[in-house]
Amino acid sequence: MSTVERKLKATSGFYKNYVKEFYEDAHRAKAEKRPVAWVASTFPVETLQAMDIVSVWPENYASVCAARQVSVELCERAEREGFSRDLCSYSRCVLGSMFGYDKELPEGGLPRPDFLVSTTCACDTHLKWFQVASRLYKVPLFLLDVPYNTGGGDADHLDKAHIEYYGSQLEELFAFLEKQTGTKYDVYKLRETLAVSNWTSKLWMEIQDYRKTVPCPMDARDAFSAVFFMLCMPGSQLAVDFYTQLRDELKQRTQDGIGVIESERFRLVWDNLPLWFNLKIFEYLNSLGAVVVAEVFSLTWAGSLDQSKPLESLARKYLPNMANSTVQRRVDIILNLVKDFHANGVVLPLNWGCRMMSLGETIVKAAVYKKLGVQSLIVDVDSSDWRVAGEADVRERLATFIETLRRS
Amino acid sequence: MEAEQKFQHALLTRHEIARQWKSRNQPVVGWTCTYTPEEVIYAAGALPVMVFAGLGDTRLADAYMPLNSCSFTRACFNAVLKGDYDYLDGFVESNSCDNRGKTYDMWLNYSKVPNIYFINTPHSNTKKAHQFFYQETVKFKEWLESTFKKGISDDSLKDSVRVYNESRSLLKEIYDLKTRKPPLISGVEFLEVALSGLVMPKEEHNKLLSQFMDEIDHRSDSPREGVRLLVTGSVMDNTELVRLIESVGGNVVADDWCTGSRYFWNQIDLNGDPLKAIARRYLDKVPSSFMYQHEQRFRHVAELAKRFEVEGVIMFVMKYCDTHMFDAPLLRDELKAMGLPVLYLEWEHSMSGFAGLKTRIEAFIEMVGGVK
Repeated sequence: MSTVERKLKATSGFYKNYVKEFYEDAHRAKAEKRPVAWVASTFPVETLQAMDIVSVWPENYASVCAARQVSVELCERAEREGFSRDLCSYSRCVLGSMFGYDKELPEGGLPRPDFLVSTTCACDTHLKWFQVASRLYKVPLFLLDVPYNTGGGDADHLDKAHIEYYGSQLEELFAFLEKQTGTKYDVYKLRETLAVSNWTSKLWMEIQDYRKTVPCPMDARDAFSAVFFMLCMPGSQLAVDFYTQLRDELKQRTQDGIGVIESERFRLVWDNLPLWFNLKIFEYLNSLGAVVVAEVFSLTWAGSLDQSKPLESLARKYLPNMANSTVQRRVDIILNLVKDFHANGVVLPLNWGCRMMSLGETIVKAAVYKKLGVQSLIVDVDSSDWRVAGEADVRERLATFIETLRRS
Repeated sequence: MEAEQKFQHALLTRHEIARQWKSRNQPVVGWTCTYTPEEVIYAAGALPVMVFAGLGDTRLADAYMPLNSCSFTRACFNAVLKGDYDYLDGFVESNSCDNRGKTYDMWLNYSKVPNIYFINTPHSNTKKAHQFFYQETVKFKEWLESTFKKGISDDSLKDSVRVYNESRSLLKEIYDLKTRKPPLISGVEFLEVALSGLVMPKEEHNKLLSQFMDEIDHRSDSPREGVRLLVTGSVMDNTELVRLIESVGGNVVADDWCTGSRYFWNQIDLNGDPLKAIARRYLDKVPSSFMYQHEQRFRHVAELAKRFEVEGVIMFVMKYCDTHMFDAPLLRDELKAMGLPVLYLEWEHSMSGFAGLKTRIEAFIEMVGGVK
């Protein structure tokens, strides 16, 4: 019998050590009357970090509520106000928490914002959801309007006009932030933040590189936790320190040949979001001999920022996000992941309230099979609303898929 | 009325109209979002037609598009897969909503249309957004020129704007007939007037609009007096729902659909560069729900409610249309604060839920009518 310790040290206690701490810090800032911003997914958060603005991600808060098993109650609260059950469960969950909840909210709820910054980069939902919040709280909303990446190119292959439009709005953003906070924008501080963010990205990609090893040393469950820094605070020393520790541990694991499971038979790529309320589903996959070795979600946040061109490089980092690009970009990314991570199956979960990531999965599935002969599973789920698909259903679908892979 | 019959006929024979146009070696260009600057297409000698499909089933499209995507978009794409739009020489898609943006890839992968273009539509109307959209409109013009090998001069743009402005002003004039009590034109009739204009040459449509205005004063079969209603929502490409409302005692006297009042409410101010003027109009018009300035739409609805003296509002919230689903509770509260009764209906773009809708609409109209 194997007595090898397979749980990673770096990610153990992650929630308590980092996420809880993050929300406590934000509440502390609020109590000290420092300005607090709500920031949307795919917003260039480095701009806020460079001005020492405390910012929280409602999207992340929704995943916290899901992990704590209260997201459905909060969604229902928003539905009672007339917000459709078919809307993004992240947004319903956070709106529900704003409308008043008769129990204690996880981490004391989101601190009330002094202003909001959002973008159309991830989806229309982020504009509309933040607009509702802006009306309810009577606080200003800055919108970074992002052109759709029509060409589907990566950071080095973007439309010049798109980059210019993006960059010119960041100038307006700084004026907005100065007005809201009274803090002066300082380009040198932005450059420093970009340097740290670069370092964070680099470490994160090194971490991913170790996952290409057979057997894979880190599972999706850890990755979906650890990606937190990439999303919420890429420009912070804390991120660098944490990722350094994680990378070193993975390096050692790789040298020692220790994988997530003893006998790794199936290596999967996971698109879209996890079921935040049921991250144990990845352990279930492990029990079937499968490991999720790469998640499209966690792998698409890194970017290399040129400090001499801060605005342009922020555009290049965020604008080609898959959500903001043609499906062809998602196809290209997934094809590469399957190849680079030696995967033999792809899971394409349709997130019920998310048009951006649900539409196009049929194209991805067909392309992956045609180009690489690798099979995909399209499965209806939701990131935070377990009413969409029950656990037994999802397990059944995954088990059948693994069985198909086993036979092929 | 003769003109009214011609509108109905045009809607029924819209694919033939397009094919006839094409038979004269002139291209047909499809679009789906009312933020598409149609004037530029028309100036290229092409016929712009809105792609829509009515309330049929979407079996073919469902194989490619998940059930949690917009049912209107699925219906349009179903028609494409069926081959209804095989005559299109070009198609223009846009990112004006998430469903639409991602459907661009569906067209690229699965349709037979030879030329597919994507217009980037800003979601706000700031100065920078205007600059960006102007550039997009210039690129669009250049694409039309190179695709259809025909130069587009400033004069042809101006002519096109004149035709479109005339269309908008005639539509508004006809719309105004609904201020009368009882309205001089029914909601179904108006939808036929408006929708037919989206699928036939505007110049011919304008002639019919004028004919309609000439005939209307002599009409002897005006709609009966009913409960005056305003309807709101995203898009309405068929007359079934309005017919249902009017069959149970309602008069649809005002709407806020992108194929209704929002389509023709704002004109193009033809001063200076015509392309600039065209681009400007689209970002400044009564906005759709995907735009940052959503309150401008709420004001439009409130003004319509007052001007047309409506007694109640029916909100048709199309499932999976995120931007409208977010706006709907806010707009509902504003309308209620004005003292208006509101019926809030979530619906799928299909006939399947009609029995349920009918019961609720009937009860609502009885309730509002009873208050009188």
